[in-house]
Amino acid sequence: MNDLLIAKDQLRYEQKAYWRNPVAAVFTFMFPVVFLLVVGTGAGSGKIANSSLRYNQYLVVTMLVFGLISACYTNLGITLCIRRDSGVLKRIRGTPISIGSYVGGIIGSVVINVALITLLVVGIGMVGYNLHFPYHLAAAVITLLVGVLTFCALGLAVTAIVPNGEAAPAVINGTFFPVVFISGVFYPINNESVLSQIATFFPVRHLVKGLVGAFENGPGSGFQVRDILIMLIWAVGALVFGLRKFRWEPRHR
Amino acid sequence: MYRSSGSRVLESNVLRGLRAQALRSIFVANDPDIVISVKGLTKSYGNFEAVRGIDFEVRRGEVLALLGPNGAGKTTTVEILEGFHDRDSGEISVLGADPSHRDRELRAKIGIVLQACAVDPFLTVTEAITQRAGLYSNPRPVGEVVDLVGLEAKRRARIKTLSGGQQRRLDLGLALVGDPELIFLDEPTTGFDPSARRESWALVRGLCAEGRTVVLTTHYMDEAQALANSVTVIVAGKVVASGPPDTLGGRDRGETTVRFTLPSGVTVDDLPTPLGICPRVRHHAVEFSLPDATTFLHDLTGWAVARAETLEHLTVKRPSLEDVYLSLTGEVDELEELEE
Repeated sequence: MNDLLIAKDQLRYEQKAYWRNPVAAVFTFMFPVVFLLVVGTGAGSGKIANSSLRYNQYLVVTMLVFGLISACYTNLGITLCIRRDSGVLKRIRGTPISIGSYVGGIIGSVVINVALITLLVVGIGMVGYNLHFPYHLAAAVITLLVGVLTFCALGLAVTAIVPNGEAAPAVINGTFFPVVFISGVFYPINNESVLSQIATFFPVRHLVKGLVGAFENGPGSGFQVRDILIMLIWAVGALVFGLRKFRWEPRHR
Repeated sequence: MYRSSGSRVLESNVLRGLRAQALRSIFVANDPDIVISVKGLTKSYGNFEAVRGIDFEVRRGEVLALLGPNGAGKTTTVEILEGFHDRDSGEISVLGADPSHRDRELRAKIGIVLQACAVDPFLTVTEAITQRAGLYSNPRPVGEVVDLVGLEAKRRARIKTLSGGQQRRLDLGLALVGDPELIFLDEPTTGFDPSARRESWALVRGLCAEGRTVVLTTHYMDEAQALANSVTVIVAGKVVASGPPDTLGGRDRGETTVRFTLPSGVTVDDLPTPLGICPRVRHHAVEFSLPDATTFLHDLTGWAVARAETLEHLTVKRPSLEDVYLSLTGEVDELEELEE
């Protein structure tokens, strides 16, 4: 069997398993959609300072960020921890599958989820909130891809600090929510504010700024090179750390 | 003259020896019947020496049972052979390859059942086996594997709904679907009901009849007795005994134990005790241990019939594998309670 076919097969089963596990799917897909519909409608289309986006349009972009991080960092991180601790990873390692096919299948499934959430959220924005199709399509696509890379790498890296499968949701959500909160995902924040200064250290804020830039028009919109580079630095750091510390097996009994 | 011819003789002897050794090692390395060869294997975790110089061989079509208390080094040994861990020292060969190189070719010829069931709980039985089959070039048909491990009725059930025993059977199915030459079974029947265990044993025997080789670790002595051609007992990282289960640790030469309850009004002195044999008595229970019980049993039962006595609770016991195992591992139970 060729590796590409095996990766495709793996992807198919990853998708099956994903949609049969309601917890992960609800969190990643339902939360952004419901938040967008409820808060976006309630808060309306007021103007945001220094942006061509209206408030509910801004939320479309940030809920896309939320969904992406949830699909990559949260879902991937928790899945890897649970599989490691239940012995699935060890078992896989004892079969002739190549690591590339296995990881490729998993990442492929994550990319599909991100694509679906993008279509869903942007679709709602365009139909419901007069969101313009991204003015800078290339910037949007590249920022999303860098986002997937960065947050998948972080999902891998976080497995190194999660002691066991039961602790995975606590550690992963516990690092996810505070950062998302201060990064302007639920409401626009002023770049000069203290929270924003702290958030600038983490990659979430840069994904928000990168994607907002791609959906805006006018001066300063388009590719946010600095934000993309900072995300890439996080991606490389997380990959190096994650690969070096990666464990196939539960911690010794 | 003498000296030079002597040294020539010595030289040619050394050469002959070396040549024989080289031939032997080529022969051993290429002997297709030796599926696993382990020599001087060691492995430590920090200061803990888990495996301290283990040697054994497994031949094609054989079932080798690795026995030993928890923490003796069985699983470490097996996991080194499976390619999960690197060894510290020693020579090992699995199907002619070094498992630490983790060649895919070798992994394709090996089936592994680990101690814990490890499959995505949201897939169905058929899906899990089909997916696994896709990793091998000549897999067994999925339906055949499902039948083989007796999960026909659970074909479409999600794995998380299976019982512990059913999950173990699925595990076995996953290990077999690649049509492996060599199968590692780590405590494969833990949690099985008695009939499921018997079925699994029949399955393992069938695999060996097809020329497959099985390495089994188990805590069940009856399992080792029923399945293994060869037993290796590991204690504290070393092999303390190895051989066929029937002769392990001199079991075949061990003494036979005859036990019964002393009839009322009879003392030990009244019994037809063989010369030089001293019975052990506790309350009314008597135990004789002797190399051959044939004559003694004849005398004893003859004596009882002549006196119209009944020998209640009469048993004749050869040392079981468990008895031998317990004495080898130093876990000998205190004299079994003989009283009624």
